[in-house]
Amino acid sequence: MDLAFTPEEQTFREEVRAWVHAHLPADIAHKVHNALELTREDHQRWAQILGAKGWLGFGWPKEFGGPGWTAIQKHLFEEECALAGAPRVIPFGPVMVAPVIMAFGTPEQQQRFLPGIASGKVWWSQGYSEPGSGSDLASVKTRAERQGNTYIVNGQKTWTTLGQYGEWIFCLVRTSTEGKPQTGISFLLIDMKSPGVTVRPIIMLDGGHEVNEVFFDNVEVPAENLIGEENKGWTYAKHLLSHERTNIADVNRAKRELERLKRIAKREGVWDPATGGAAASRFRDEIAKLEVDVIALEMLVLRVLSAEKSGKNSLDIAGLLKIRGSEIQQRYSELMMLAAGPFALPLIREAMEAGWQGDAAAGALGGFPGGEVGNAPLASTYFNLRKTTIYGGSNEVQRNIVSQVVLG
Amino acid sequence: MDFDFSDDQEQLRDAVRKYVDKGYTFERRRAAEKAGGFDRAAYAELAELGLTGLYVPEDNGGMGLGPIDGMVVMEELGRGMVLEPLPHALIAGAVLAGYADAATRAAWLPGIASGEKLVVLAYQERGSRYALDAIAGKAHQAPGGYVLNATKSIVAAGDKADAYLVSAKVNSVMGLFVVERESAGVSTRGYNTQGGGRAAEIVFKNAPAQLITTQGQAALEHAVDIGIAATCAEAVGVMDKTLDITADYLNTRKQFGVAISSFQALRHRVADMKMQLELARSMSYYASLKLNAPATERRAALARAKYQLGNSMRFIGQQAVQLHGGIGVTDEYIVSHYFRKLTELEMTFGDTLHHLGEVSARMQDTAGVFA
Repeated sequence: MDLAFTPEEQTFREEVRAWVHAHLPADIAHKVHNALELTREDHQRWAQILGAKGWLGFGWPKEFGGPGWTAIQKHLFEEECALAGAPRVIPFGPVMVAPVIMAFGTPEQQQRFLPGIASGKVWWSQGYSEPGSGSDLASVKTRAERQGNTYIVNGQKTWTTLGQYGEWIFCLVRTSTEGKPQTGISFLLIDMKSPGVTVRPIIMLDGGHEVNEVFFDNVEVPAENLIGEENKGWTYAKHLLSHERTNIADVNRAKRELERLKRIAKREGVWDPATGGAAASRFRDEIAKLEVDVIALEMLVLRVLSAEKSGKNSLDIAGLLKIRGSEIQQRYSELMMLAAGPFALPLIREAMEAGWQGDAAAGALGGFPGGEVGNAPLASTYFNLRKTTIYGGSNEVQRNIVSQVVLG
Repeated sequence: MDFDFSDDQEQLRDAVRKYVDKGYTFERRRAAEKAGGFDRAAYAELAELGLTGLYVPEDNGGMGLGPIDGMVVMEELGRGMVLEPLPHALIAGAVLAGYADAATRAAWLPGIASGEKLVVLAYQERGSRYALDAIAGKAHQAPGGYVLNATKSIVAAGDKADAYLVSAKVNSVMGLFVVERESAGVSTRGYNTQGGGRAAEIVFKNAPAQLITTQGQAALEHAVDIGIAATCAEAVGVMDKTLDITADYLNTRKQFGVAISSFQALRHRVADMKMQLELARSMSYYASLKLNAPATERRAALARAKYQLGNSMRFIGQQAVQLHGGIGVTDEYIVSHYFRKLTELEMTFGDTLHHLGEVSARMQDTAGVFA
């Protein structure tokens, strides 16, 4: 047993760190470190920088043009990116659909779709959830009817993250109503520019436009866009869901945000009991609890990675990682907001964009109330992250899965 | 980065598990508890397995093993709620090996390794709570050595041990001493503890003492950290077994015509227990992996671990009793004994709020994690 990474892994980390620091645009890192709004262009710019290096598909094997990294190298790469303030790789293309195309697609499909994903040029969206489906993904109702060489798709997807930018969408569609719900599902790639596709925004509680409804009205999809066999889509979807076990915990981002929380607490006078008194003492203890939570989560993640590396023991704790990781995300955003207290309350949307100064000439009446623009996004982030315990299989569904492991 | 156990460690685990399963049954433990909470014969059996000499160097008659080996052993002893205080043998072995001169090591370590000498840490005083240095105990030089005056509380197996590692101040410097129980001026009052084991109040009145080190604060901190790591590992074993017992019960017990494990309210409670167990196991690894780190890093790490373990212990113990229903609050059924043991371990070597304070006071403005 050893907590230290091997010298090779350490060298790898340093190489990644040096490269990220040299190539991550400062304006993007600034936005990430301060939870300011990222545009489509910001995401695309970073994706294409990674793509040019061959690292956007950082989980890909060498045969498909990826770096062929081990689970630990992938973890270190994601950690260095997160700590440097890189935006998360938008997972739908490189992390989600690409492995399915690699495992189950034809050579033609691989040649057609993978280059656009690897370079970051094509924006993919995910079409799994439907109205009413919740965590029960197999309840797919969107229909795809085969007519000759074409599927006619009718139905609706929802919670489509950043679907307003999407160019392609991978969908679970129902191609049969016979047998169990899981057996009649197919995995279809759909060009979002096709006639009959409509994207409608869902405005979230924080006022942000992050998710969408996607409507399919007699959309014609060439049969060559079917992945694998008809009615086997559930198997492929499960492959996708099982592909990334540890990154759902998002521990790397939690480490970065823990540091940010400490900066905010310091700025707001609730960090040092010597100057902030009992209020600082109470608040500092809450940060200390979170720090232990983050370390324990990191240890949990490292245990899973180690088990993958050695193959000696398997750890069936993906559900725990999801539950704990999401709870921690919610907790740090909550503490950031509480650190600012009433100064987290002014809702001034422009102040969440980079560079906003307000009317500097107006003095106290011109900028963000209290004079600290860094407080502007705190409540919105807190509201936004309530999603984390709901999506990806709600934490209650995860508890069902965990209890299955213990109780049978 | 590697969390696998070596083949030797797996063999050590198997050997201890076999002993606990066959040699340290619940019935035997119950009898030992009724007889005072300490069984010298059982302690001798631990010694025969080599466990009392785990941290004693090989040239002093021990096994010279490290923290991960200690962790493996303590997990297994925890599964059987073994009463005899092996953590103190680990502490005495490591502290004497690390801080005493050659003559003192030669005088004590072989006996500790063989199990003939049980040496326990006597450091807690009524007024000091968990602060190691806030003690009234004093020692001064006298012809042929030192003379020690102190009153120490909740000393593990204190009226059965052969000698103590005692903290006492020489002028204002913290010293660590060895005092033998049968020396003049040592009086003890033993009692059972809530966790099933044994402890004692000990009064040292002008007792002859042998100085181990005047780096007493450093040695004592080290001793307590070894104790924390051992307690964390022991607690993991206790919790692991507690969850097993609870899962079996839920799958067996029927209400309204079905096994109560079919009720989602209970299943989610079990999932939360599993969460606390795995977080605890992770932090127990962390504790043992940091036990040989430089003192500042080690102290911070061990406080974090004990904070997590304390929370996990209280949660799992309380939930296990609740999920058992009425039988969970009886003495007859095993789960209440696990709950009592967990409660005791939470307050051993610093409780959860104490360690939260330690974590908070030591917190840096960086993330404080690995990268």
